[in-house]
Amino acid sequence: MIKAEPRTILSFLHNHFEVVRDLFEFQSQDGIITREVFEVICHKHGQNMKNKLREYRVLRAVGSDYEMRDVYFKLMEFLLFEFKPLLPETIEKYKGAITELYLKIRKGENTDRDILLERIKNLSQQVREFVDLVERNAFRLLNETRDLKSNIDRVEYREKVHKASFWIEYYILPLNKILDVNHSESVANRLVEVSEYANRRRLDFGDEGARIEFEKLYVQLIQTNQDLLRQSKILTNELLPLLERIRTESLILTGFIEFLRNPYKVETPPLMKGSRTMVYAKDMLFKVREFFEQFQQSDAVFLDDTEPDFDKWIFDREHFKSQLKAQLPVNDFFSWCATMLKKDFDHIDTEKFFAITGLLFDEDMSIEFPKKNERVTITTSTAKISVPKLKIETALKF
Amino acid sequence: MVYPAHHRQIVEELMNGKFILANEEHFNSLKENDAFYQEFFKVSFDLNLVAKPEFSYLLSKETSENFSRDVSIFIAILCYELDRDGRNFMEALDFHEFTFEESDRYFDNSSFIDLIESNKALRDADSRRTLVNGMARRNIVQKNFEDRFIFTEAYRVFTDFAKELALKRITQEAVAAN
Repeated sequence: MIKAEPRTILSFLHNHFEVVRDLFEFQSQDGIITREVFEVICHKHGQNMKNKLREYRVLRAVGSDYEMRDVYFKLMEFLLFEFKPLLPETIEKYKGAITELYLKIRKGENTDRDILLERIKNLSQQVREFVDLVERNAFRLLNETRDLKSNIDRVEYREKVHKASFWIEYYILPLNKILDVNHSESVANRLVEVSEYANRRRLDFGDEGARIEFEKLYVQLIQTNQDLLRQSKILTNELLPLLERIRTESLILTGFIEFLRNPYKVETPPLMKGSRTMVYAKDMLFKVREFFEQFQQSDAVFLDDTEPDFDKWIFDREHFKSQLKAQLPVNDFFSWCATMLKKDFDHIDTEKFFAITGLLFDEDMSIEFPKKNERVTITTSTAKISVPKLKIETALKF
Repeated sequence: MVYPAHHRQIVEELMNGKFILANEEHFNSLKENDAFYQEFFKVSFDLNLVAKPEFSYLLSKETSENFSRDVSIFIAILCYELDRDGRNFMEALDFHEFTFEESDRYFDNSSFIDLIESNKALRDADSRRTLVNGMARRNIVQKNFEDRFIFTEAYRVFTDFAKELALKRITQEAVAAN
């Protein structure tokens, strides 16, 4: 029994917080506070410290060593936010307790009212403890994972793989199973069932006091289910992908470092040799033969002998020039041009006429213009052309 | 006989050792006709078609061993240096556009400098450009402009290789420890 006033104990914790924290840290690390450690800590603060720790029931003797009492340990955990992750097996024990209380409440609905109320309150207490543990565990796992990701402790890649796999296999996947509301054996699923039952009973139970307790339980379970869903989301959406990523990244880097240690003694991923055709390729002969074979056309080729639909007449300058020279002197050049064209064609084409008149500019011939305004009219297929009567002679050469 | 759509392009690219990627138009035709192509390459050329969700490529008995080794070293060093630089190398392989200047900086300051200098495909900036061009021809990287490249999903062949190697070594050590 503690004689001291509660305020006195709180005041002691306030004034000697460092002592209690040191004791808490030693117990967290080693699971026990050895006599030597206890002596060293107490020695710093005088003999009175030992008495106070004993009087306020902070410590309990375990053989020659000590351990912190659970209530103080949990208080320190809470104050320092330093929760030790619990194995999901430990958390799962609540399923048994909750189920047993739930079944007893259902069976004993019509028996003793007092025990019914007590069971409802106990069930509520179990649910509270369960949610608290889940939250603390998820929080701790999240911190551990983030530490692993930032790698402040400079953990080796291989160690990271090991740690990530360890957290996933032993903590996160089993915890997720406990929180999976769709899994018939999960604690979350059982809580939903209890919540549905409490919902019905808060409305239709005969005794008013029990109805009020069922109402409280129902409200608590609604909140609990929301909290568990949030924790489950943290696990599946954040924690698990983060850890998977750490594991994958670390595995890849471990593999690359292992490979780079001796890259010429490890078989690398097989890749196909490209088969681009080179001129010196083995099958070049066949490819060349195939290429040329396409030009060896053996079929007879027929040319169509139809007339083209355009006039193929090309002015043969030399021919007309020699004709002109043979007939020099010519008194009327343009009429001579017309006569020459009429020999070959039925009517005179304007273009052809102008082509022949080009002979006029030949340097071998001289042009004599008429003294009077003598003109002749040449009629072509498209025009009537009035031209001067020019006389052409052989040019005199000096 | 009616061949699948893009048949010629599929055959030509795969036979040239190229990866066909999921974001390419002819990948769908290849995927839809997986059974046909598996048989086609096996019967016609004795080649195995590797079909992954993100890409496909051919495997032959005769392999391009040197190229594969050079690419493996290139990616391994790049990942190691990215991680050392505090960057998420998986994200970089997935999304980052590398410049040659940036990759050269990692290689020139790498602690694996002995290995880099002894490798013909990696020893200087020009050699590394040639290697990256070779990777681009096979669709392992995609070149954006002359001096920039991003990795395609085909990089997974090399990270999977690293993962397998790590697991093999970890298993071997566990067996030895027991």
